[in-house]
Amino acid sequence: MNKYLLAVLMILLAATPSLAKVKVVTTLPWIGSIAKEIGRDNIEITTLIKPMQDPHFAEARPSMILAARKADILMYNGLELEIGYLPRIIESSNNPGIQPGRTGNLDCSQFITPMEKPSSFDRSMGDVHPLGNPHYHFSPKNILRVAEGMANALSGIDSGNADFYRSNLQLFKDRLAEKQRQWSSMPLKGKKYISYHKLFEYLAQENGFQILGYIEPKPGIPPSAGHIEEMIALIKKAKPNAIIATYVAGKKEAASLSLKTGARSVVLPHDVGATETAKDWFSLMDEVLKGLE
Amino acid sequence: MKRWAAFLFIIFTLCLSMPSYGADIESRLKALEDTIQQQGETIKEQHKIINELREELNNKKPQETAGTVKEEAEKPKAQAASGLFGASALSNPNISLVLDTFVYSSNLTEEELENRSIPGFTTEGLENRKGFSLEAAELFLFAPVDPYFNLYATIPVTEEGVELEEAFFVTTSLPHGLQAKGGKFKSSFGRINSQHPHAWDFADIPLPYRAFMGGEGVIEKGAQVTFFPALPFYTLLGAEVLQGENEILFGEDAKSGPHAYTFFAKASFDLTDDSTILFGPSVMTGKTKTGSIEEDTEFEGDSRLYGFELTYKWKPSRGRNFTVQSEYLYRTQEGDLSAFDENGDALLDEDGEAVVDTLKRAQDGAYIQAVYGWDRWRLGARYDVLDLFKDEYQLSGEEQDFDGKPWRGTGMLEFHPTEFSRIKLQYNHDKSARNEETNHEWWLQFIMGIGAHAAHPF
Repeated sequence: MNKYLLAVLMILLAATPSLAKVKVVTTLPWIGSIAKEIGRDNIEITTLIKPMQDPHFAEARPSMILAARKADILMYNGLELEIGYLPRIIESSNNPGIQPGRTGNLDCSQFITPMEKPSSFDRSMGDVHPLGNPHYHFSPKNILRVAEGMANALSGIDSGNADFYRSNLQLFKDRLAEKQRQWSSMPLKGKKYISYHKLFEYLAQENGFQILGYIEPKPGIPPSAGHIEEMIALIKKAKPNAIIATYVAGKKEAASLSLKTGARSVVLPHDVGATETAKDWFSLMDEVLKGLE
Repeated sequence: MKRWAAFLFIIFTLCLSMPSYGADIESRLKALEDTIQQQGETIKEQHKIINELREELNNKKPQETAGTVKEEAEKPKAQAASGLFGASALSNPNISLVLDTFVYSSNLTEEELENRSIPGFTTEGLENRKGFSLEAAELFLFAPVDPYFNLYATIPVTEEGVELEEAFFVTTSLPHGLQAKGGKFKSSFGRINSQHPHAWDFADIPLPYRAFMGGEGVIEKGAQVTFFPALPFYTLLGAEVLQGENEILFGEDAKSGPHAYTFFAKASFDLTDDSTILFGPSVMTGKTKTGSIEEDTEFEGDSRLYGFELTYKWKPSRGRNFTVQSEYLYRTQEGDLSAFDENGDALLDEDGEAVVDTLKRAQDGAYIQAVYGWDRWRLGARYDVLDLFKDEYQLSGEEQDFDGKPWRGTGMLEFHPTEFSRIKLQYNHDKSARNEETNHEWWLQFIMGIGAHAAHPF
């Protein structure tokens, strides 16, 4: 009798780890979207920053700390984008597995080549990012590397399913290559834009368009009347194809500039989930590129 | 034998070759020089080709990057480790300096301010001086020690000198949701106590804190353990063992060795995507020996402080937020109150016995504050009150009567150009002295921070 019980227990114990999903906590929605492509039904994703929150100005809410407490792996944007709350979340989580240097701490920016890394700066330049422009999620080239990094990290944590993650990565790569052909055929090359925040620089570099100026004079600082006047003069002279704002920042300013200059203004999703149609990273890219067209 | 022959042969050949080497060393050098020159020229040519290729590549790049993604993405260069706090320097901790300076004005004289105690609670007056004041330039240092500890220090530099306000380590690798803290730190009792003054919504501490713990709250040497279970909602349980040196609540010489203990629980959940509540009880208990209850007396006994905190935060968008925060404090004290004469000697009664009363106090207080923020502005109001529900004060069994409830009303308007600078205008309508006199206080406060960007607590 006891033998049977033992056998049942053994089976149960052996079965539990493979049944349990890997708990992935991501800061930004797009990170969750890429993780979903790699981990599919094997992982359970919690995203800390809601799609309509500005990732620069979030706060370490207790519910975020709780999610971090339960996480097997924490994936974040890095390049100091989450500096205002993430260190607090990590330390307060009382979870050794996601501390810096552990396998459960994945800084996605380690896989990318950052743009605009300032050689010298101080805060008189606004809330600049000393490690470079952190908004690399609009760069397919960099996202490909991030996806590879995620597949490796997930394989490290859940080695039993390494093949599953690897094959999902291959599927992702194939889909991305196909999408890239579609995206690169869009006539964006040589077009000019004005943007509210420094958000689309990676995309501009990869798709050959130009961003002439920013409504935000310095990152994080709202425009003064004088700066708006300068913008109006610039728009009238350079005739950009559009003035870009996002649903979380600059909508009002872009609309008023458009009214004053006659230039087209376009509101784009800054991250997955910011609009109903941008439901994953691919559709986010689709929507942004279509909006720019 | 064979070995010997081979050895001799080698020596022989070496000897033969040596002179010839020496003889034509110059010609050999010349040949070498020629080769080096030739190689130099080759390198120059190669450089030229490389540069040409590079230019070609640069011209091609835009089309290429707009093309398909390469299957084998090249490995990016390993980046400098950025660490938990973002800085890349391993050799230096993260450093920041926060300047807290203000202009203060009041209708009372300097002397009246100094003697403005809260009868029945504390004899401590106000420390503010009229005109320009420098609270401190506070130096913050923090960094991971190793994979197991993070270290924090707060060093306010004031006109009087350098203080060590806080210096503690926090563990990062304990299992089962445990974390330990040790050193000198702000107690996690209640809500406002563990926040830094420059992070407070108002320029001064709420009245119940001033009455029960003094103007800076409880900062003690000791140890803390927290337990954070993985429940469906946020629950944090904690306990502290403290030296117990807070002047108002415990007094420095209450007892040798640690004699104050704190227990707290905090729970939180999100009501919606934009709103959160945080609440929980705290208790702090310990031995007390203090002269701050009545003039020319010393109290020795036991103290216990209970607290309940409640915070509601609503943050619908980047520019807007609304916070309501409230705490209720209840303090009991029981022990002996000895009286002294002007020379500090024990006061004697007619029979030559020292005058000692038994003192039993059970008093409470609360504050509620609300702050609304939009764009770069914040507007706030606060109401503090003491003797809210309970005002027991018994000297040797006899209830003492103090007139009225001490209270205070506050209004605040703040402009913050960026998150690193804040300018605050605050008005206090202070009726805490239990007399007719109202203290009309005005503050114009400037808080600016430079250096490493420490994360803000909730």
